[in-house]
Amino acid sequence: MTDSYDIAVIGAGPAGMSAAITASAAGARVVVLDDKPRAGGQIYRNVTDSPLKNTDLLGEDYTKGAALVEQFNACRAEKITAANVWHVGDNGEILFSQAGASASLTAREVVISVGAMERPFPIPGWHLPGVMTAGSAQVMLKSDGLVRDGAVFAGSGPLLYLIVAQYLRLGVKVKALVDTTPKQNYLAAASLLPGALGHTDVLTKGIGLLNEIRRAGVPVYKYAEDLSIRGEQQAEGLSFTAKGESHSLDAAHIFLHQGVIPNLNMTRATGVEHVWNREQLSWQPRLNSWGQTSVAHIAVAGDGSGIIGADAAALSGQLVAWQQLVRLGLISPENAENHSRPLQQKLQRYQGLRRFIDRLYKPADALRKPEQQETMVCRCEEQTRGQLKAAFDQGARLPDELKGLTRCGMGPCQGRQCGHTVSELLAQWQGCEVEAVGYYRLRSPMRLINLTELARFQPHRQASAVEVKS
Amino acid sequence: MNAIAGNRQKASVIIIGGGIQGCSTAYQLAKRGVDVIVLEKDRVARHASGVNAGGVRLLGRDIAEVPLSKVAMQRWQTLDDELDGDTGFRRRSLINIAADEADMQTLQKRQALMHGQGYFHETMIDQQELRERLPHVADYCVGGVVSETDGYAIPYKSVFAFRQAAARAGAEFAEGQQVQRLRRIGNNWLVETASGRYEAEYLVNCAGAWADQIAVMMGDNCPMTYSAPMLMITTRMPHFATPVVGAVSRPLSFKQFENGTVLIGGGAKGFADRARNTTRLDYAKLAVGASNAVDFFPIMRTATVNRMWAGLEAYMPDNLPVISASVNSPNAFHAFGFSAHGFQLGPVIGEVLADLVTTGRSEFDLSAFRVDRFERKVL
Repeated sequence: MTDSYDIAVIGAGPAGMSAAITASAAGARVVVLDDKPRAGGQIYRNVTDSPLKNTDLLGEDYTKGAALVEQFNACRAEKITAANVWHVGDNGEILFSQAGASASLTAREVVISVGAMERPFPIPGWHLPGVMTAGSAQVMLKSDGLVRDGAVFAGSGPLLYLIVAQYLRLGVKVKALVDTTPKQNYLAAASLLPGALGHTDVLTKGIGLLNEIRRAGVPVYKYAEDLSIRGEQQAEGLSFTAKGESHSLDAAHIFLHQGVIPNLNMTRATGVEHVWNREQLSWQPRLNSWGQTSVAHIAVAGDGSGIIGADAAALSGQLVAWQQLVRLGLISPENAENHSRPLQQKLQRYQGLRRFIDRLYKPADALRKPEQQETMVCRCEEQTRGQLKAAFDQGARLPDELKGLTRCGMGPCQGRQCGHTVSELLAQWQGCEVEAVGYYRLRSPMRLINLTELARFQPHRQASAVEVKS
Repeated sequence: MNAIAGNRQKASVIIIGGGIQGCSTAYQLAKRGVDVIVLEKDRVARHASGVNAGGVRLLGRDIAEVPLSKVAMQRWQTLDDELDGDTGFRRRSLINIAADEADMQTLQKRQALMHGQGYFHETMIDQQELRERLPHVADYCVGGVVSETDGYAIPYKSVFAFRQAAARAGAEFAEGQQVQRLRRIGNNWLVETASGRYEAEYLVNCAGAWADQIAVMMGDNCPMTYSAPMLMITTRMPHFATPVVGAVSRPLSFKQFENGTVLIGGGAKGFADRARNTTRLDYAKLAVGASNAVDFFPIMRTATVNRMWAGLEAYMPDNLPVISASVNSPNAFHAFGFSAHGFQLGPVIGEVLADLVTTGRSEFDLSAFRVDRFERKVL
């Protein structure tokens, strides 16, 4: 059999690449599946093969990924690229589609390192054509070198400022930055500043980005509230208030961003337990200090375990690898302990910074839990807050009950865009904790799968049926 | 109603199981002024009733079920008005496709049997009419059989509509109440759950995939099994099929909803883990289902599967339900084991059970559905 591995790593971002490098160097038979043609994840997307002539313009946080990607490409792990993993079983079975067919493999240990996604931004008009996430704008930039002139960027968080700065460095006109970071966040975060001081480089980098944006002459509106996107068929502009004044900007392209949350459809569908993180206001898998989930042989590393950032993600990837190597009998527990202690200490140090960032950029309630009845919550099935509230008033109390009555969460995004909003709204309406409300019951396929691909599914992968890059 | 330990909730009738049969029975009883409590171990419509294919099918029923199914079909046509709710029912007709001449012979035999019994709701169609009704059917299909009154409903919404109507009529629903013990004290039943105690004169067992366990508590053994019939649904597609579709001899059923999504079923079973309330999917079998769908409807080649799932469902060895008074206990009734085709019967089963509870009799011949029908033969 050629389809059984010691460790399967799903997702080749910083966490997955690091896990694979560590585990394969220690002698484990490792396979890494990634949905893109090249490793790197969102953050280091195409870093070794950019359509841009000068990648330095994207910043050193991007270019430094090249070293990790090269190390990963050179490691002994088997790489299956452009593979859509659509099922991860709690028994270690992995089903994926690639080049028009479905195949399967099994692994004794599984690392899920599928990273983060941008937090939904449910404001009036966010579903209109012309509105995208700032992250998607960055993907277009990194993958295809595509940009949009005269766009308005709105929201909060370091990634938003970085993308604006990247645009400006490329000479693209930015109409405005509408910053929704609430005023009180600065005060609340100030008390957490001491814990973040070990990372002054990161802090100054953030301040530097904002200064860079201002220096370029881009209007920056701080403390923006009451955002709504104008337009009937297409986005025409953004209205908001800032410091008590109403503003209305015309723009055909509006990029929204208010931080990232773990990408959880895979861990959810695998059946591992999740908890609600009150600081990050998002769900995350319940993990032990080694990154293991409630299913012993399934670990989660990187931003999928809770947002930790690229550097910490790489450390967490190594950490789960050491633990899995012990269970595979390839190294001794003492050896793993020795390797892990410094990793855990470093990860600990990142936590101070993370708490500061989380507090500073904590998105306002009104931008997570829409207040207007007509604001879309589920874009796929076009369910507004008002329609969901009506179903709640009829008696739906759990996300699945709301789903059963309204179809919210049943569309092609598989609940990714409405899941968090639905959990939070139901908790708000019932006056209870988000944890008590829970989340949609998710199942495989974790990604959309073509019916013909499924029809061609073979229970075991033939070695020759899949092109393996080495 | 929140039952807390030590509380005793009394009613005339306790229904165990909040699926479509339990909710329909609660509605019928409450409508007649009977006070009734539904005990549901999870949440109403959590299992097979809420996640089935939603087929509302009279076509192809076992002869023994036809009288019940015909009345149920009448009820579905006006059920939204009756319940003042939205079941999502759409009358669309249902066609079983004959893939070859052998299938046509099967249908002819069935036709003779049905006509002999005086049933004329199933009409055979030839290749041309099949193509007119289903323009995208594969060229090789030779004909089929159609029932005009059939269609589909939205399972979760249907059960919810029964529940809401029952509650409006006075029925009580207690969720998260798994029955742990039944006792008979004097003329009453005592029902104990982990957190509550209930008492009633009559018991109705509508516990679906767990109904054999309740039956045993009532003193009735029966050879029920349970499984996990699987379904998958596509993203929205251009409209190409109005009727609900089945096949005479191959495991395929599908329907395209108004929003364009296509539900693909056909009875392939996954793995049921009843103790943990979960199911596991069998992807190799789903692949066969996908293959069949593409085979019958080439337009499905480019379809995209969005979701797959399975519910926990009860099966009987003869694929006929148990609709019966308890044999070994007084004032106890069963309705379970619908073997993946009970959803359509929901509206009539409530009426039958309400009759059994309040009058001890039913206008239907229920002899094929006795709980002890498997006990007669020895060796």
